[in-house]
Amino acid sequence: MSDALAPRRPLDLVPLYKAVFLGLVALVVIVPLLATVLGGFKSLGELRTNPFGLPETWEWENYTGILLSQRYWQLLWNSLVIAALTVVLTLIVASMAAFVFAHIHFFGSSMLLSYLTMGLLFPAATAILPLFIKVRDLGLLDSYLGVALPQVAFSLAMSILLLRRFFRDLPHELLEAALVDGCSYIDFFRHVTLPLSRPILATVGTITFVHSWNSYLLPLVMLNSDSMYPWPLGIMIYQGEFSAEWHLILAFITLTILPTFLLFTLAQKHIVAGLTAGAVKG
Amino acid sequence: MSQRSDAIAMRQEAHAPVARARRSTIDTRLATLLLFLPPALMLFTLFVVLPIGEAAWYSGFNWNGFGKPTRWIGLDNYRFVFDSRGFGTAFKNNLLIIVVSLTIQLPLAMALALILAERFRGAVALRMLFFLPYVLAEIATGLIFSFIYDGNYGLLASIYRAFGAEAPHLLASTQTSMLAILIVVVWKYFGFHMMLFIAALQGMDRNLVEAARIDGASRWQVLRHVVIPLLYPTIKLSIFFAVVGSLQLFDLVMPLTRGGPADSSNTMVSFLYNHGVSRMRVGYGSAIGVILFVICVTFAFSYKRWFMRNE
Amino acid sequence: MSFLRTLAFAAAVSTLAAGAAAAQTTVKWLHLEQNPAQVKIWDEVVRRFEAKNPGVKVEMQFLENEAYKAKLPTILQSKDRPHILYSWAGGVLKAQVEAGVLEDITAAVAGYKDNLSAGAVEAFTIDGKIYGLPHNVSQVGFMYNRDLFAKAGVDGGTIKTWDEFLDAVKKLKAAGITPISVGGQDKWPLHFYWTHLAVRLGGKPAFEAAFKGQNGGFEGETFQKAGELMKQLVDLEPFQTGFLGFKNPQALGFFADGKAAMNLAISHHSATQRALAADKKGIPEDKLGWVNFPMPAGAKGQPSDTLGGVNGWLFTKGSPKQALEFVKFFISDEVQRELAKNNFIIPTFKGSEAALGAVFMQNVAKNIAASNYHQNFYDQDLGPSVGRVVNDAVAEIAGGSMTPKQAAKAIQDAFKQGN
Repeated sequence: MSDALAPRRPLDLVPLYKAVFLGLVALVVIVPLLATVLGGFKSLGELRTNPFGLPETWEWENYTGILLSQRYWQLLWNSLVIAALTVVLTLIVASMAAFVFAHIHFFGSSMLLSYLTMGLLFPAATAILPLFIKVRDLGLLDSYLGVALPQVAFSLAMSILLLRRFFRDLPHELLEAALVDGCSYIDFFRHVTLPLSRPILATVGTITFVHSWNSYLLPLVMLNSDSMYPWPLGIMIYQGEFSAEWHLILAFITLTILPTFLLFTLAQKHIVAGLTAGAVKG
Repeated sequence: MSQRSDAIAMRQEAHAPVARARRSTIDTRLATLLLFLPPALMLFTLFVVLPIGEAAWYSGFNWNGFGKPTRWIGLDNYRFVFDSRGFGTAFKNNLLIIVVSLTIQLPLAMALALILAERFRGAVALRMLFFLPYVLAEIATGLIFSFIYDGNYGLLASIYRAFGAEAPHLLASTQTSMLAILIVVVWKYFGFHMMLFIAALQGMDRNLVEAARIDGASRWQVLRHVVIPLLYPTIKLSIFFAVVGSLQLFDLVMPLTRGGPADSSNTMVSFLYNHGVSRMRVGYGSAIGVILFVICVTFAFSYKRWFMRNE
Repeated sequence: MSFLRTLAFAAAVSTLAAGAAAAQTTVKWLHLEQNPAQVKIWDEVVRRFEAKNPGVKVEMQFLENEAYKAKLPTILQSKDRPHILYSWAGGVLKAQVEAGVLEDITAAVAGYKDNLSAGAVEAFTIDGKIYGLPHNVSQVGFMYNRDLFAKAGVDGGTIKTWDEFLDAVKKLKAAGITPISVGGQDKWPLHFYWTHLAVRLGGKPAFEAAFKGQNGGFEGETFQKAGELMKQLVDLEPFQTGFLGFKNPQALGFFADGKAAMNLAISHHSATQRALAADKKGIPEDKLGWVNFPMPAGAKGQPSDTLGGVNGWLFTKGSPKQALEFVKFFISDEVQRELAKNNFIIPTFKGSEAALGAVFMQNVAKNIAASNYHQNFYDQDLGPSVGRVVNDAVAEIAGGSMTPKQAAKAIQDAFKQGN
């Protein structure tokens, strides 16, 4: 690295080194992804003989077969429902709690906040078996809520911290004036705080959505019937079924990561900001 | 930090209420409290706190999850966990992930950030490209790489064949399975750490760097003595995420190796899944969970003590 | 967005349909059958059953073998569990019975059960009560590719002893042929070697003694010896490269593509391999040979002893009586013959085996009929947790990370822990 950054003479090679370095890393990132997309267009035999090039004959059936199957849409639908439930519940529950922690001072407030932020200390996996038993006893196995509720519970800590910080930074005079005018805290929350907090709500929503959309362990343990499976579970089952037919599996992978990819290209700034901000500020 | 802000809040509150509004304010405050707080507290208690407590309780039983736990076996489950070679390997693998994150991923992420934090054509596009793997689901990433590593159809095998060599089955050997996973870990997460550094670099006071330059410091000296020290908080953060990420790594392992062969590539969480959940050994799995919990909490507190002392 | 609307519409329609026909009973049937040709027949059986029983709908759900085993413990605890489940009987069944999640069908099958092979029904009988109906039986043995054997100058018909078998492996290797394909990632295909060696070495007495904890249990001489003999084989490097990363369907496909000479298979895999071949044809019947598991020197077991499965269908608690009706219909002479004709199963319905198509499947049926000791797969027989440890430990022998002694000890430890 020192070579790359320390110039030996005025006319330096540093830009070239940098370009080569960036090019290499870019290649390492792109090649697996591109091979996956293109692999889905090949036949199994061609995967072996022509792994890197463009397909000699484009096997559109690999993709169309999946796109026309009910299975694919069902998986995406399930993921969407679970993610939407998780995001909406997280935003409602966390913003209400964050509002209290931001604006209402009461005995035990900081203690309760520390209690809730304990959720940052350990992953859901640690208590996955008791969690399974709990969800079972609540009769929520094999239901969207059985996955969404634990996900909400585990995303609360981070969400409350982010929201509280934002709520506190809103001009305090607003609240004072509103209270003097006889406006209740709840009205203020609904009509002032929430509308003013769209950016942070979007951030928290993004983080929660991406995590839920990609999550695997909780659905794996809580869901049993394939009509409920979100796509990460579905794709694992698909792979088990078509074990060696890589061309189909690659097409399926491509189609399942397509929504993530589209979302990312459309809202990249937001997602990057959301995910890193969430990380940094949490 | 939170104490300081609490103090500010109190001061503000002392100024705020006007006498005639006070009564009704207190009423609505109470109502708000009672309405707004319980949902979060209940959900959190039910699905996060209680299960951890129950894990401690269940870990004393030999129980397959049906009916109520009745066969109390004391601390035996913990003994079984510590006696099993697989758990030791899993623990070591978690450490290995952390080591690789710190020695390979972190420098890589920092180097890329130093280049890409500057403004030039294509910089933003490259940032996005490098961040993309982080957004992909672990499951999809794992499957993509299980294709790449596949000894018959995979890209790696093709490269070997092009040189007339027989392809290694990286995922099928106890010697290489973990290596294969580590490569994917770096591939997937370096972009995230890079973004952390870019954010820090962009928030950095450029004047310090300029001043050092004017003083005649070489680029390397500037980097070594000005930039990197300014990045210390971000490095700590990056370490934090490397450790936390390692401790919960699971999704990536399943499509690649399921922890095998012969438990050689388990993380602690995948070990818990393979030996606890999928065998419904509730007691044994809970014991692993409790151990994992203790490790996580110990880490969080010692991190706070050692790394956050000055902040 | 139109697909969303379609979905919403579809959902609405199905809810409506369910509401309209309130008298409709849906029987949920979870199966593991991966062979499309066989599933097609099952589908037709379902349609025939539904035609004869208006108001009953049989809903087929599929899970791949490994996914099923991993999910089964959680499936059983769900209130939406399927009514009909696949089972390998044995200790796993016993644990399920003890957990109280299965329906006792003793009374309901009183007359019907006499149609089925008594031994197979016995496998689904726990403490005198019947919990499931056997659908097929199977034997584990070496399926081989006649062409590849001929190329290496090996005569499959002459392999009787373990040493002869090892010689055949060496000859195949010398001829540049991968001797054996095995799905090492799934582990149970490897456990066949260790288990069958133990069956050969010790026979029924050894297993029963070990089960009672006598003679050192599963750490005893027979089982250590089984590991050592297996090690002999492993040391010849007989398996395809990267075998520990192969799932069983992949390994069967590898055999079916003619890339390996043998596969230690469950008898009905001879049909499954075709569906898993790249060309969907696989090894044709006339090119497919069968060798019973060879006898090691000094073996105390009988050559007629067999290792294999007894597979059947269980009924979860609270399932409608139509579930049982359906399975009775499914395990009828007519359907069993149809499946046997295509060599998909060795039937349990008495007399149906006459329909078996392939000669070697007929032989397998005779083997099983003649066997006095038909040992169920250890990974099922020893119960959910110990069985999994058997698989783990044997896979470690194959991977060279455990010695036969350590493997036997690991299994015995698990057996003693009993969880």
